[in-house]
Amino acid sequence: MQVSGGGAMLRLENVHKRFGQLEVLRGINLDVRRGEVVCILGPSGSGKSTLLRCVNLLEPPEEGEIFLEDKDICRGAGTPSGEGGWQLDFVRQRVGIVFQQFNLFPQKTALENVTLAPEKVLKRSREEARAKGTALLERVGLADKLGEYPDRLSGGQQQRVAIARALAMDPHVMLFDEVTSALDPELVKEVLDVLRKLASEGMTMLVVTHEMGFAREVGDKVVFMDEGVIVEQGKPADVLDNPREERTKRFLGLVLER
Amino acid sequence: MNEIISQYFDLSEMSKHFDEVFDGFVITLELSLIAGALALLWGLILSLLRQLPGRPFLPVRFVTIAYIDVFRGIPLLIIILLISGSLAFLPLPDAITIPHWLGKPDTFWYGVMALTITYGAYMAEVYRAGIEAVPGGQMEAARSLGMSHGQAMRNVVVPQAVRKVIAPLLNDFIALMKDTTLVGVIALNEVAHVGRDIQGEAFNSSALTLGAIMFLVVTLPLARLVDKLISREQSRFTRGAPRVEAL
Repeated sequence: MQVSGGGAMLRLENVHKRFGQLEVLRGINLDVRRGEVVCILGPSGSGKSTLLRCVNLLEPPEEGEIFLEDKDICRGAGTPSGEGGWQLDFVRQRVGIVFQQFNLFPQKTALENVTLAPEKVLKRSREEARAKGTALLERVGLADKLGEYPDRLSGGQQQRVAIARALAMDPHVMLFDEVTSALDPELVKEVLDVLRKLASEGMTMLVVTHEMGFAREVGDKVVFMDEGVIVEQGKPADVLDNPREERTKRFLGLVLER
Repeated sequence: MNEIISQYFDLSEMSKHFDEVFDGFVITLELSLIAGALALLWGLILSLLRQLPGRPFLPVRFVTIAYIDVFRGIPLLIIILLISGSLAFLPLPDAITIPHWLGKPDTFWYGVMALTITYGAYMAEVYRAGIEAVPGGQMEAARSLGMSHGQAMRNVVVPQAVRKVIAPLLNDFIALMKDTTLVGVIALNEVAHVGRDIQGEAFNSSALTLGAIMFLVVTLPLARLVDKLISREQSRFTRGAPRVEAL
């Protein structure tokens, strides 16, 4: 096992990702400490989502290294070895992801959505999985929706189920991919409140978002991406109020004048 | 007009031969149910083999696609004749080459084999359409929770896919049921074969008409059921429609 990262929870070194001719990530370097909340901003197409999907190997990078808890999870990136070359199990049991479109399993109730993977992957007993799932759904404020199917839930409720589902695997890092972008404005707060709570409990989080207020308030670090590179990163107040780079200024100007 | 009625709808002919025709139809039903169940299973297996991801499974995918294309392109009748005419001469155990399982004649099992081989290929395509209709985010969500490809297929994708394709699968089953009559050419006493024997002796087609009516008794309700399932599936995606209970 290659060791590097110096105690960082997550460390990306020169990560590249291509889709055919299109190079979506062009050398990303990023350190995330344990318990840190990193908010990633940037225009659409800048590679924010792809970055998250690289971290949990849904889209393994072609080049570069990713260290998770000091373990190189994609050694030999770019070799045609298929999934065998990557530490899929190691990653998937430590990194949870929540998607913009929720992706709940429609044929299963809220509670079954949360208990499925712990039962099948972690081999937990049904009782244990249900007890834990119930507690998690209570934690996201859905104690009264355990038996509901996703299509009976509002977008905000569905997204909170999706968060509980990811938490049920006891992740060490949580990735949030524009989790409020598909929600009606009045439902955004209930989801962000769950994220705030998680952050205050010390969860390590990578949050791709367009919610500037959230980034400023909850983020320990803000990263601004454009065209596949990190243009600027730093404390929220520095990046959001006193951006150094011209591209960051332009983007923030466009977003804030809405 | 009288000739039409006496040739095709002679009630005394029908009642005289009802028992024989009905016995033939029972064989038709048995053949349909056994071959139908096996084809449903075989088709699912083929569609799953076809979906195996990654480079190591490329040969499996290739062979599966070739199988599906070949057997969708060959007439069922030819498959029946190929099996019944030569299987008995192959260097395999008699239990396979001249099967008499469950007390049924070998021609019955040759029919089951041919129907399963052919309709498995058709149904694999139906399953594939269902699997591809499940949004990719479902597989991603399952994989991101640590499930293997197989676990994700079994617990997440296939249950949704099957629900989407119940109606088209039933359609294929109706087609399979009608095609069981082709097995009559290798002298299995299914309903068409029985009807044809009577037709040859009596110079009258009413017994065959009776067989056709027996088919309709089964296929018409099935066709209505298919329609109902389709409209139900569509209403699930219609805005504002009441939620339909899962099948």
